[in-house]
Amino acid sequence: MAIRLRPCSISSRASESSFNHNIFPARTYHSTWVSQSHSRSHQSKHFEIKSSNLNPLNAISLQAGLTENLLAKENVDTQFREEDFHFTELEKAECNLSIIVVGASGHLAKKKIFPALFALFCEDRLPENLTIFGYGRSAMNDEELRNMIIRNLTCRIDKRKNCNEKMNQFLQRCFYHSGQYSSEEHFSELDKNLKEKEAGRLSNRLFYLSVPPNVFVDVVRCAKCRASSDRGWTRVIVEKPFGRDSESSGQLTSGLKHYLTEDQIFRINHHLGEELIENLLVLRFSNLVFEPLWSRNYIHNVQLIFSEDFGTEGRGRYFDNYGIIRDIMQNHLLQILALFAMETPVSLDAEDIRNEKVKVLRSMRPLRLEDIVIGQYKGYSEGNKSYPGYTDDPAVPNNSLTPTFAASTFFINNARWDGVPFLMVAGKALQSKRAEIRVQFRNVPGNLYNQKFGTDLDKATNELVLRVHPDEAIYLKIHNKVPGLGMRLDRSDLNLLYGARYPREIPDAYQRLLLDAIEGERRLFIRSDELDAAWALFTPLLKELEEKKVVPELYPYGSEGPVGVHYLAARHKVHYADTSS
Amino acid sequence: MPTLSSSAHCPSYCSSSSKLSTSSSIYGNHQRIAISSIRPKRFVPEKVSLRSNRNSYSNAVRMQDGAVAATVTSIGNETPFKKLRDGLLSVTSPEELGDTAGFDISKDKSTVSITVVGASGDLAKKKIFPALFALYYEDCLPEHFTIFGYARSKMTDAELRDMVSRTLTCRIDKRENCDEKMDQFLKRCFYHSGQYDSQENFAELDRKLREHEGRRVSNRLFYLSIPPNIFINAVRCASLSSSSASGWTRVIVEKPFGRDSESSAALTKALKQYLEEDQIFRIDHYLGKELVENLSVLRFSNLIFEPLWSRQYIRNVQLLFSEDFGTEGRGGYFDSYGIIRDIMQNHLLQILALFAMETPVSLDAEDIRNEKVKVLRSMRPLQLEDMVIGQYKSHTKGGVTFPAYTDDKTVPKDSLTPTFAAAALFIDNARWDGVPFLMKAGKALHNKRAEIRVQFRHVPGNLYNRNFGTDLDRATNELVIRVQPDEAIYLKINNKVPGLGMRLDRSNLNLHYAARYSKEIPDAYERLLLDAIEGERRLFIRSDELDAAWALFTPVLKELEEKKIVPEYYPYGSRGPVGSHYLAAKYNVRWGDLGVEQQL
Repeated sequence: MAIRLRPCSISSRASESSFNHNIFPARTYHSTWVSQSHSRSHQSKHFEIKSSNLNPLNAISLQAGLTENLLAKENVDTQFREEDFHFTELEKAECNLSIIVVGASGHLAKKKIFPALFALFCEDRLPENLTIFGYGRSAMNDEELRNMIIRNLTCRIDKRKNCNEKMNQFLQRCFYHSGQYSSEEHFSELDKNLKEKEAGRLSNRLFYLSVPPNVFVDVVRCAKCRASSDRGWTRVIVEKPFGRDSESSGQLTSGLKHYLTEDQIFRINHHLGEELIENLLVLRFSNLVFEPLWSRNYIHNVQLIFSEDFGTEGRGRYFDNYGIIRDIMQNHLLQILALFAMETPVSLDAEDIRNEKVKVLRSMRPLRLEDIVIGQYKGYSEGNKSYPGYTDDPAVPNNSLTPTFAASTFFINNARWDGVPFLMVAGKALQSKRAEIRVQFRNVPGNLYNQKFGTDLDKATNELVLRVHPDEAIYLKIHNKVPGLGMRLDRSDLNLLYGARYPREIPDAYQRLLLDAIEGERRLFIRSDELDAAWALFTPLLKELEEKKVVPELYPYGSEGPVGVHYLAARHKVHYADTSS
Repeated sequence: MPTLSSSAHCPSYCSSSSKLSTSSSIYGNHQRIAISSIRPKRFVPEKVSLRSNRNSYSNAVRMQDGAVAATVTSIGNETPFKKLRDGLLSVTSPEELGDTAGFDISKDKSTVSITVVGASGDLAKKKIFPALFALYYEDCLPEHFTIFGYARSKMTDAELRDMVSRTLTCRIDKRENCDEKMDQFLKRCFYHSGQYDSQENFAELDRKLREHEGRRVSNRLFYLSIPPNIFINAVRCASLSSSSASGWTRVIVEKPFGRDSESSAALTKALKQYLEEDQIFRIDHYLGKELVENLSVLRFSNLIFEPLWSRQYIRNVQLLFSEDFGTEGRGGYFDSYGIIRDIMQNHLLQILALFAMETPVSLDAEDIRNEKVKVLRSMRPLQLEDMVIGQYKSHTKGGVTFPAYTDDKTVPKDSLTPTFAAAALFIDNARWDGVPFLMKAGKALHNKRAEIRVQFRHVPGNLYNRNFGTDLDRATNELVIRVQPDEAIYLKINNKVPGLGMRLDRSNLNLHYAARYSKEIPDAYERLLLDAIEGERRLFIRSDELDAAWALFTPVLKELEEKKIVPEYYPYGSRGPVGSHYLAAKYNVRWGDLGVEQQL
């Protein structure tokens, strides 16, 4: 890759800006796993360094036949890393952080990015010297940007005091720069503006690309060539979609890599920033009671469910081009599956976790047409209210076959999960907004109490539910005796309701992810090889669906979705936990 | 499933009362041979009779000691009945019931007479009569029944009724026509005055009982609510003079069952002179508690617990019992027994056995009790060094003075009787080798509590170790089954504190009974009385169980008495002597009931 790396058109500055990777020619990544070099990432401040654990991944790459010079390099790496770390400490006090929101006038920027930055600012999570630049095509001055931002800022309930003051302080640091996404000149101007604000301090720059995917590479090129930080790091956060299939994703990745190294790219999947997803690892690895159960010996099936109770509501243009499988399944649900099913990582380092995730993805069989059920919502009236069908959306072609619902079954062909169905269900315009992971355990072998259950053995299994929506909760369905004389069994819940236990507001996913990107914690971002593996699972199926023009099963707006999902589940002896259960 | 129907409480009599009462009557023990010869095989549902072969395996253990054939038959006769009963408890198919439909005629012909011997005593007034009334209210008693109070004091039926009615209450959720029910109940209560050792007086009782029983098949249940020294006399008289001629006769005996192995064996032997093993119902009311019943359900009907239930994952188990009051002037009985005999040797040890037993072949009483005996026999007798004893001393707090144990007028001034004890026990079998089972029981402590705590091991190679700081004990999971004050089950797990950054927290996955089940939970005595009437022996203690339990405690009890070990004194209302911490520390255990996180 380094070979193909074209220098920027004006490379007057020794532009390999971000000090933490330019030392090693990018060439070394290229020959083997992309991942091998990543252990050089910044350590998160939560997981302080333990140098012996630094490069666990390289064990793998060594096996893959790398020679000793890599080993040597490893040592350098480690050394370098220490420096790196000191610097991070230093950075806190001295450095400047510039965050450039590219596409600042967009919906996402207004609704999510600026409010999340403000929340971080309120909690004193951002460095002292902070500059936020909005970059967009529309002509706007700083004042107008501030006005736009302020409309979406709210204070957290538990931090109301001197909120207005904070808000003013925050807005003081927001600026706007208008320019084209593909114009290197405009980015040079931005660079000048940034330098002014940075006032000669060592500066790190974070670009948040909140722009349509077709301009990703242009923006990255301009930003990299013209507005990289001289003496600090430069990182780029990219939002999905990361391509439409293996090829386009591969192209996008190689396009990005022309200008950035792997550890400068932060592919964001905001669902991974949700509290319960973070907690999934904690639950698995810090509780003795779960890990022994976490395998095909005890788990009968796993269900990953994501549903929304609204349709595209006039904004279907983007969606129609992608569909629910690309929008939710291929990234969000698959990522959760990988976290759920992975082996214990060597450490909590981003690279170690992502290595394990990739292993899971690579152990999976690509999805086939018979493993999936697709659906599309149709109009529905109830009483005097009527809900539009998907194709009623003016932004959607009337003959669109794009699925708004999909259910699929996956199998992981490794020792831990062989034969355990993973059922994914995602849909729009369903009955309820729901996001949960359900782990259904096997029946108790030789259950002494079998006769108490009648014939419904499904009722006789335990179930662990991690619910993200509507209310965050964890509960474990267990059997117990109904109090009273006689012996009647009942399924009740051992539960932990987050709302009751943690009255504080749970931070927004964007807040966490932005903070992680600033701190260089890559655990929740998607690495290139992960992305490749994820696309490899879905691409054949997506192609087949499009080539064969498979017609989705229509389901009424606000219903439980197509019944096909039950048949799919039944084929693998799974009982799909719809909202009635 | 979550909703409670009324039949849930009392499935047998409510849904199919006639069949059950009848079938219990044919297995009368006393007239065993005659009755069983006329017992028509066809009344037993096909499915059940098929199983009876298998069930006799469970009796193998007892047959080894050379029981005569007759005993074997009697047990054999019992099992199909229990199977039948189990069948009825579950969702009974109508066909199955149809098999026994021919019995309906005899419905009016069978009756249960419950004789409370020692009717004027405290227990009878406070627990037994109210429990009987509750059963009656819930339609759990057979259609025809008679309750006799028997005691030495002179009383008329009306006086007894008056006494009984004062302690009867209706459950909060069942107030409607309570008075009416109460009247009906009291009409079936009678009194007979007599000496506990007089066969004549019992013969008079027999006559009266017959009067009430009429020509029905009569089953008789004697509840001995009397001091242990007259157990045998009462059993002798009851057995010889007032056994049922046509149905079963059962005797419920309350603790204490002796003071040590010898006295207990002597008592058992004496009882067995007059009664068969399956006529003796040794009651341990702790086993009737809802959550103790639930313990087996949790273990054996949930996949997620059984894999964890061994030394591989469990670090220690704690059985805790505390009362927040002392003997309060009623220490006469207590002083000659002490907390070890009063609570540990029976209640806590029984719970331990249920907790630790292997999976039984079935839920039959004999199968479960066989497994419990195996646990008890795998245990090492308690050593003096694994034991800490204490006695409460007086304590003044905020102007209120709480008396010391020896301030109790019924207690000798120099009494060394422990009112607190902590012990570490070990089960030397494959499942539990090396896992300490810690028991703690005490009076006059700072709270009233009974719970089982299961502390799991550390997560091996925990990735999050550094998030816990130095106190690794905070990082282990714990399963708590709380019997009182409020029934609850909870599992302490580690999870992430919501928010940025990574902070771990121990929170509870919990099931709080009061929140989930709004109904009042029946008293332990209700369940146990009902079980005795139905011949369900699961919750009663078998003779060999009792022997095994005494064998564990007798040596240390003797040693304590011989060496006149002085108990460690602790103030009334405190957390007990510190010695218990040293004992726990010796086995690398921390008592689970000390944490600040006693929420819920």
